[in-house]
Amino acid sequence: MRILLLLFFFLNCNFINATDINIMIIIENCKSCHGEDYSGNKYIKSLKNLGKEKFINSMKQIKSKNDHSVMSRIVKPLSDEDIQIIAEYIYEHN
Amino acid sequence: MNIIKKKRIFINSLFKWTIFLLLQQIVISKKLKAKSKPKILIIGGGFGGMSCLKYFSNFKDLVDLTLVDKSDQIQTCPFSNLVIGGLLDYSQITFNLKLDSFVKFYKNQVKKIHPHKKKVEFIDGSILEYDFLILSPGIGFKNQQINGYSLQDKTNIPHCWDGTKNIKKFKSYLNSLENKSVIIISSPDYPYRCPPAPYERASMIANFLKKRKKKFKILIFDAKNSFTKKDIFFSEWKENYGDSVEWIKRDKGGILTNYETKFVYNNQGQKIKGDFIHIIPEQKAANIIFDSNLSYSDWCKINPTTFELNDFKDIYVLGDSVDAGDMPKSAFSAESQSKVLSINLINRIMQKSYIDPVFLNTCYSFSAPNRAFSISSWYKLNKTKDSIVSLGSSESKLKASSLERQRESIEAFGWYESITKKLYI
Repeated sequence: MRILLLLFFFLNCNFINATDINIMIIIENCKSCHGEDYSGNKYIKSLKNLGKEKFINSMKQIKSKNDHSVMSRIVKPLSDEDIQIIAEYIYEHN
Repeated sequence: MNIIKKKRIFINSLFKWTIFLLLQQIVISKKLKAKSKPKILIIGGGFGGMSCLKYFSNFKDLVDLTLVDKSDQIQTCPFSNLVIGGLLDYSQITFNLKLDSFVKFYKNQVKKIHPHKKKVEFIDGSILEYDFLILSPGIGFKNQQINGYSLQDKTNIPHCWDGTKNIKKFKSYLNSLENKSVIIISSPDYPYRCPPAPYERASMIANFLKKRKKKFKILIFDAKNSFTKKDIFFSEWKENYGDSVEWIKRDKGGILTNYETKFVYNNQGQKIKGDFIHIIPEQKAANIIFDSNLSYSDWCKINPTTFELNDFKDIYVLGDSVDAGDMPKSAFSAESQSKVLSINLINRIMQKSYIDPVFLNTCYSFSAPNRAFSISSWYKLNKTKDSIVSLGSSESKLKASSLERQRESIEAFGWYESITKKLYI
């Protein structure tokens, strides 16, 4: 059974779909401002200790604002599903 | 058995053993070679090259890394206009390269790349070999665009578009300007490094002179009929500098044709006097590209999934020197490209499939202290996967409050601090 599970895990690791791949690159771009470990700096918010749920709510709020801020413009093309996957990647994969 | 026969048998067996040992050596060396780490040679310690290096550092057991640059210190082009404007000191945009102990640093200037031999030749005659070559060489400049103006003439105002210490000379010229001076800026046609930068530079020159309580007129002669964030710049110039900044578009005499000391002539035959004539040259890929015959057009043609040159295997180019479709030439773009290039080169080495690229760019511009605005866009590949296309760019508000402009200024500093902290010390 354990071997079957491992095999299943291995096969799934090699079949990441396109959305997941793009999310990984999107996250790499997030790091440009929020830092390699998401800790931000004296000017930019840290994502590190925000937590998954707060992050999702915050991103959805920014998206709905339409205030032409940098973040609202960057978040706009992302779907709620994308935001969910980004959150899972940041707070669970790392 | 006589001695001759014994000798013959001995020589025969010795020959066989020698052949066997030789073959064994070949097999072992081939195996060793197969196991040895591929050599990645990165040329250029700017944002693109250093970001690649940073990403590859996560795979130090898989690849052998060498960085080449003529200097171990860098003056960044982003935020250099703020030094001109007096918002930052020169020391705040100057950094040392951040290098891990397992990265070899070769301080030298490249003379020529030999793509078929997979070798890089340096001006001192030394040679480095590579398995994969990554070029992030910045930008090159076209000469003879304006009659009478030469890039090599040291008496001209330096263009300061290439991250050199000339910025100090530029400021000393600016500092010597008297009241009611006329500043002429010539803005190039697309494509060029950092599209909003000529207008940010005009703003920063205006800020510098305003702070010194000097009256001035800035005339921007533009080889284009429009430019990025134009309406916001117009609004900001009016609000911060009254009518002191004027833009002359291509169709209204924006192209400069002749240059003399203190005078320029435009494409409508007008002669204009200037106390400070700042020519931003037309641009092309960096010189090393042409010295090595790697491109026959002004910009390198690459596969946008891998950034490998279309005509040269195992040579990758990113940043300002490539034709990146809709992506502007900016440090932000170069860093975003570096992630796709690095991830896909590692995928190639590990014999995994390439990922589908996504890119991001944000260009911040300052019009005055605590006043910044931006343009952003995500990018993907077109259907035929041979060009990078924008998913639609969006700008800051045209009429924003001081607080909103200040917030963007803080975000701009935040991006700059994050990226420089990651790559430099």
